[in-house]
Amino acid sequence: MAGNTLIEAKGIYKSFSGVPVLQDVHFEVKAGEVHALMGENGAGKSTLIKIITGVYTKDDGQIFWEGNPVEINSYQDCQKLGVACIYQELSVIPPLTVAQNVYLGREPRKGVFIDYAKMNQMTQELIDKYQFPLKPTTVVDNLGIGQRQLIEILKGLSQNSKLLIMDEPTASLSGKEAEMLFKIIQKLRSEGVSIIYISHRLEEVYMLSDRLTILRDGKNAAILEKEDIIPAKVIETMIGKVVDESAGSRKMLHSDDNAEVRLDVRGLTDKTDRYRNISFQVHRGEILGLGGLIGAGRTEVVRAIYGVDKAASGEVWLDGKKLNPSPKSSILEGIGFVPEDRRNQGFIPLLSTTKNVALTNYDIVKINGTSISDADELAMSKRAIQAIDIRPSNPDKQVGVMSGGNQQKVVLGKWLMRDLKLLIVDEPTAGIDVGAKDEIYSILEDLAKKGVAVIVVTSDLQELLRVSHRIIVMRKGDIVKEFKNVEVTQSKVLSAGQGVEEEAE
Amino acid sequence: MMKNFNWSKYSKPIILAAFIIVLSILRPKAFLSLDNFSNVLWSVAVIGIMVSGSIFVFLIGGIDLSIATLCAFSAVVVVSVTHMLGDTPGAVIAGVLAALIVGALAGAVHGVVITTFKIPAFLVTFATQSIFLGLAMVFTNNKIVSCTVPAFTAIGAFKILGFPLPVYFMAIIALISWYVLRKTVYGRYVYAVGGNATAAEISGINVRLSSIVCYMLSGLTTAMGGIVLASMTQQASSSTGAGYTNDVITAAVIGGVSLLGGEGTVPGAIFGAVLMGLLNNGLNLMSVPSTHAGLVKGLVIVVAVAFDAMQHADQSRKKVKKVKKASA
Repeated sequence: MAGNTLIEAKGIYKSFSGVPVLQDVHFEVKAGEVHALMGENGAGKSTLIKIITGVYTKDDGQIFWEGNPVEINSYQDCQKLGVACIYQELSVIPPLTVAQNVYLGREPRKGVFIDYAKMNQMTQELIDKYQFPLKPTTVVDNLGIGQRQLIEILKGLSQNSKLLIMDEPTASLSGKEAEMLFKIIQKLRSEGVSIIYISHRLEEVYMLSDRLTILRDGKNAAILEKEDIIPAKVIETMIGKVVDESAGSRKMLHSDDNAEVRLDVRGLTDKTDRYRNISFQVHRGEILGLGGLIGAGRTEVVRAIYGVDKAASGEVWLDGKKLNPSPKSSILEGIGFVPEDRRNQGFIPLLSTTKNVALTNYDIVKINGTSISDADELAMSKRAIQAIDIRPSNPDKQVGVMSGGNQQKVVLGKWLMRDLKLLIVDEPTAGIDVGAKDEIYSILEDLAKKGVAVIVVTSDLQELLRVSHRIIVMRKGDIVKEFKNVEVTQSKVLSAGQGVEEEAE
Repeated sequence: MMKNFNWSKYSKPIILAAFIIVLSILRPKAFLSLDNFSNVLWSVAVIGIMVSGSIFVFLIGGIDLSIATLCAFSAVVVVSVTHMLGDTPGAVIAGVLAALIVGALAGAVHGVVITTFKIPAFLVTFATQSIFLGLAMVFTNNKIVSCTVPAFTAIGAFKILGFPLPVYFMAIIALISWYVLRKTVYGRYVYAVGGNATAAEISGINVRLSSIVCYMLSGLTTAMGGIVLASMTQQASSSTGAGYTNDVITAAVIGGVSLLGGEGTVPGAIFGAVLMGLLNNGLNLMSVPSTHAGLVKGLVIVVAVAFDAMQHADQSRKKVKKVKKASA
């Protein structure tokens, strides 16, 4: 069971370009415990982990390893101490065997040759010790993602790691694979290995963790012992009780049922079961918030409505007309779409603001014969820059070198040039500073006032409550809850998204 | 003062001038003669014609390794068809059309296969390279076929105002290509697809169709290059156009066209073609054997790419990441 303190981070400060991300954070893991780290998106979890693993350098504070002060300046430093990080994106090499992957770069040798017999034997010993369902000689190509993750863990253990960091380890695992992982985690704990467990899934955290550190806005919100880990309390702490009573996290929703229906989604179902039988409507001038955890199927639903991906069945109606969604036809019908992954899906980095803004709008830019009117294209770009305050205001600036907030404004700005009926925005303010966030919210509100129906997909609860007139929550591919003309709080939405039954207040 | 010098803006004319000065000093008589001048122009014209089409493929981040052998095959087609139809001026027109159709079709096949099966362009065109070579051999029984009809040889040899006809072809084709890329909606789409295909798709662009058209244009100009080459040499064989794949790609890269896609202009590529023409001519005049010429050209590619990478260090790193991600 849990013993002495293995790692302790004291008074950690970190800020990025003047914005404090971590302030006086204290974090401690004991030998042989599973310590969960929780917090909303942007609470500072990944920053803290990156400081511990030497990816970022801290501004202030100290880290102790087994009681001794240490400087961790690179991932190699933390590996030497005995810390292994199991990444979400796995780094195993498919054509090699399990043993070859575990000892990659550290192969036992006999003269100049690799001693495969010894390598397999060493791997087998590890497998036996921790009871992994693996064989050293299996080629990784034939293994599922869960087993591949176990290889990563084995790799860490083979280097005598005393601390494993797992960041959302079950995000891409099936239920069965997750069960397997949980057993392994419990076995590791009983062998004295410590684990930092980061997950959004509360059930897992309750089941596995011995202690729980909660971060909120870059500060310690709570450190809970096993017996204090109670769902309602955890959610409350993550969101912040103080904030809970302020206007920001408690909101009376106002949605007008009598307003004309603009978007009508009927029984949308995915080919690969990421969402099923999704039906909802959005009214003229309404901002519908789509809440739920990452991976609940929200992004997939809006992509299907816009037509980037095709649904297996179901119908999409806009202003009483049935659509056959594809990006091109959606644009012409008056739908705008701001995708989730801005950098990879939102804009063309090498092109200027002008060309990015015009990209979806060549049906309204003046074209003489076959020749685009440069003047008209530029005029449109200047209108967008003015309408949404894009900086730098130079229309020839490459979008790829602009700040995240301004890139998003370019992505959004091109839709403002059109006569929209429906605008879908997916995580519209991810990675954007507070000032730009407010500007984006007011743009969405202005659009709604003009009669546009708006769908906002967001994992940021504050944002969800801030902009929505009505909220629907998805969980594991289903719509599980609708909040309409009622008072909502962040914890109600979060509970619905996580499938936690909220106690009667 | 040197600090403020905008090297990237003036690098091209400076390199060009340096090249001409060096050659003029080393081989003053041979290089500065009128005969040699038209030699250079011919060489430039063929590369210029081909790169004006291939640039479309490079801009979407693709590549065409079949340029040389498609060039050979279309040269064989124009000569054979002209010969079959009785060597009349009408037969020449038919032959030219047949070669152009072959080029466009070959490009269409590239585009369809690459976009349908999501196979990397270099693999597909690497395979078709061998197919076109085989077709050229089969068509000719692996012999040289020749055509000396004046109507045909005029294509490469006829001069207006002292310039051979291919130079005018190059000018016209480069101008069209420039216009399409710079002024039309399709041109904008090409840059968008090359810059970020996913974002282009979401913006309502038919990425697949746009890409197929790019490969067709490349095939078309490659066939034009083949026709001009056949006319200039009055013959065609499976080795017509050998080495042109390298020359065209090098011209594009020297001219600032990014092989990762999304970046590059027709004037840049034409500059590259002129430089390649001069380089070929220079190597020739310096009596560098053809075996060594390849070596020198390879080095030029490496230097040009390294230079370009230095200028765009940051951006290209990001793009390579993206490409890796996409192919993973």
